[in-house]
Amino acid sequence: MPNQNGSVFGLTILSPIIDDEKATPSHDLQIRKYLATLPTGPESPFAQAPGTHLARLVVMDDVVFVGYPAIEEHLQSKYLVFETNCDADLDEYLSGLAKAVPDHLDAIWSHCVGYPGVANSGAFIEYMKACQLETTLFFAAVNDKSVPVTLRALQTQRAVTDFIADHQGMEPARLQKEFLEFVGKLESEPVPKPGTMGPQRALKTGGRNE
Amino acid sequence: MSKLNGTDIQGFVLRGYNLPFARYVFLHFEDAARARALIGRLLEIITTGQRWDHGKPQRTVNIAFTHRGLAALELPLATLLSFPVEFQQGMKSRATILGDTGINSPECWDELWRENRVHAWVAINGQSIAAIEASTASLRSLIEETAGAVEVGWQDAAAIMDAGKATTREHFGFTDGFGNPDYLGVERSTQPGQGKLMPDGTWAPLATGELLLGYADEAGELPVAPIPHILATNGTFMVYRKLHQNVATFRAYLKEHSGQYGGGEEKLAAKFIGRWRDGTPLELSPEKPDPSIVQDPHRNVNFTYGSDPEGTRCPIGAHVRRVHPRDAFGFNGRLINRRRMTRRGLTYGRPVAQNEPASDREERGVIFMALNASLSRQFEFVQQQWIEYGNDAHQGNDKDMLMGNHGGQGKFVVQGDTTATNPPFICSHLPNFVELRGGDYFFLPSITALGMIAMGLVDPR
Amino acid sequence: MSNINGKVYAMNAITPMKPWKTLVVKGFFLLLRLVKPLQKDLINLSFIEFARWVVIPRSRFPYVGQGQVKDEMKYDYLLFFSNFNGTWNQYIDAFADVLGSKLNLIWRWSEKFPGSNPVTGFKEYIARVQFDTDYYFTAYPQATANDLKSAHIVQASLDDLVQRARSCSPAEFSTAYLNFVIQVQGHLGETGEAPIVF
Repeated sequence: MPNQNGSVFGLTILSPIIDDEKATPSHDLQIRKYLATLPTGPESPFAQAPGTHLARLVVMDDVVFVGYPAIEEHLQSKYLVFETNCDADLDEYLSGLAKAVPDHLDAIWSHCVGYPGVANSGAFIEYMKACQLETTLFFAAVNDKSVPVTLRALQTQRAVTDFIADHQGMEPARLQKEFLEFVGKLESEPVPKPGTMGPQRALKTGGRNE
Repeated sequence: MSKLNGTDIQGFVLRGYNLPFARYVFLHFEDAARARALIGRLLEIITTGQRWDHGKPQRTVNIAFTHRGLAALELPLATLLSFPVEFQQGMKSRATILGDTGINSPECWDELWRENRVHAWVAINGQSIAAIEASTASLRSLIEETAGAVEVGWQDAAAIMDAGKATTREHFGFTDGFGNPDYLGVERSTQPGQGKLMPDGTWAPLATGELLLGYADEAGELPVAPIPHILATNGTFMVYRKLHQNVATFRAYLKEHSGQYGGGEEKLAAKFIGRWRDGTPLELSPEKPDPSIVQDPHRNVNFTYGSDPEGTRCPIGAHVRRVHPRDAFGFNGRLINRRRMTRRGLTYGRPVAQNEPASDREERGVIFMALNASLSRQFEFVQQQWIEYGNDAHQGNDKDMLMGNHGGQGKFVVQGDTTATNPPFICSHLPNFVELRGGDYFFLPSITALGMIAMGLVDPR
Repeated sequence: MSNINGKVYAMNAITPMKPWKTLVVKGFFLLLRLVKPLQKDLINLSFIEFARWVVIPRSRFPYVGQGQVKDEMKYDYLLFFSNFNGTWNQYIDAFADVLGSKLNLIWRWSEKFPGSNPVTGFKEYIARVQFDTDYYFTAYPQATANDLKSAHIVQASLDDLVQRARSCSPAEFSTAYLNFVIQVQGHLGETGEAPIVF
């Protein structure tokens, strides 16, 4: 069943975009503009709705002409590609989105042909299913851990590293005591929000956000 | 493949001279015609890659150019634009890509490198200081005669001596200079472990095109090269980096942390690099240095990491393991064959013995020079992805312990086991042991290409 | 609008295929899916987080009626979506170095595919058939696939140790803790920013 790999699901949805010469700017450009300013960090709609590991939205203008002797042809519509790797099956995932971020969904998909709006979640899910593509091959590197489990593991990894570094050569009784304190504290920490870079460190890698 | 013509390739490219003294003179061209005349005169004394049948010469001379140097020589625009992008930009503009930020950023470099005046690098290597001075005098009189250039700086370098003999040690006390790659067609005493790993466990030379332009590389094609072919063939690119070493900081850090480390000071130092200070590879001798291995060319670079996946002998993030992973990434080493380069570095500055006090402010370090056919695919990649970052080695953002631009942060993990002398150990709050003080990218042309440049005969096509 | 978010890169590519060739590709994909060892190389190239291939038969571009003109194409199209760590160049270099023959089996059916080696021609082709991402979200911008795997190992080892820590003596704990450190010592890499793409 190629849309699933372990407990991770893959979704590929291609929604035709409304082609209206009278719209200024055109519907595809309006989607683009909206997506350009949509936050990609913890304020992202995909951070607020549960279960998204990775998601992308792409306005696909046309197919690609690879050059003679291939035949040149063109799509009649532009399509909005929505490709996501998520924790739940289609129905559950889309309902989650519809409940958490209805305004964003409407803002984006209202430019697509036949979009019924998110208010009627049944119709919304049917609409998305109609545009779903069957994945032919789905590869996933880490395929059986959900988003919250993964976020917690990342938090743990960071905390454990600090603990080990700070407790080298400590005598056993004190080590055990401090370890149990550490574990208690770690367990009570809230799970970090999806899409965050983690706590700010001064470690410089020359990355683009510096 | 075709036999290499040693008389057409600059000697610096084809062999490590192992001459104990060097002076790098940096020139600026003010007038293209006069500069070309100077190059024409220099051609008469440039050392080629021809074999030395009568023993090592007293001194050697080689030359390389920055992109702005080639522009000052008025090579045609089409040719200048056909050089790889990174070479056109120069190392200073690539600082953020290379992780040369903070204390390594260009604002902190030596004045010579902060400006954009360096057009040419003339390297004099010699058996003695007298030979260097004689050569420098000849060079300066040629410059004066032709009025072909202005000297904007120079850098002396010398091997660290031990009882009058030149060693390959650097200022932290480590023996360096192992593992330069073997290439097809380059004559050299090969050692197992220098080339690329074959499926049956033997080592074969790398494709010539990993070092020299105009020859097939490991990807089965000719490397990206400037046009015309005749300008590029038998040439190569060089990265020059002046790496200041903070010897006092290093010694203090090592001393402080070996107090807590069960294996002792020498072993901890060895764990940083992956070799004991005498050069014995940790993989082959994890408990103690072993001169018999170091002196045996069949053994001192002949090892793989396949039997040490946990890093208990040689830490996963140790320097030699980072820059030459061998089989550590799987796939029979195929992912690393295009990431090798030839190093020709030399120490500079007054050496200071282990029991003498040292100051970080004193000028000392290593002039790092590496030769490769593609700066971006080879040097820049290794610098960015394997030294200032650790993902390929599964070490996340952790940097190379010795070379990394730590800024007081970061950590180095020494993987260990249950024995008391080989415990797991984390070094944190890493200072910058090494600081970048300047450098640039250079093009080392062939003898033919130098002749064309000197005569102003370069035509794009 | 970017193909990159933190340490992850989103690549989208679309290539045309003559309809009869689609059957061959699908056959190969079926094989890849069923014969797990064939995926081994993909797994060991540990900088790929998720990758997906989708075939769109020529008359099956989604059609919802309501004024949309139906797309009837001459070619079938192979869509490729990848999420990987590292730079574009590094990714394609590694693919060509290691997976060359398997890549050929997937893409040689696409029109004008030059083969995955030598890599310069391959990169030109990908640049031609790649289209850019408008919006890219990842729940873990500071982590690569390797970082995620390491994090899970650390979590599992910690959970084990916690179970024992509550009930054992300090001496026993000391041993268990050392074993725990040895278990996780290769998995403690810092997470954070990615190097600049070039």
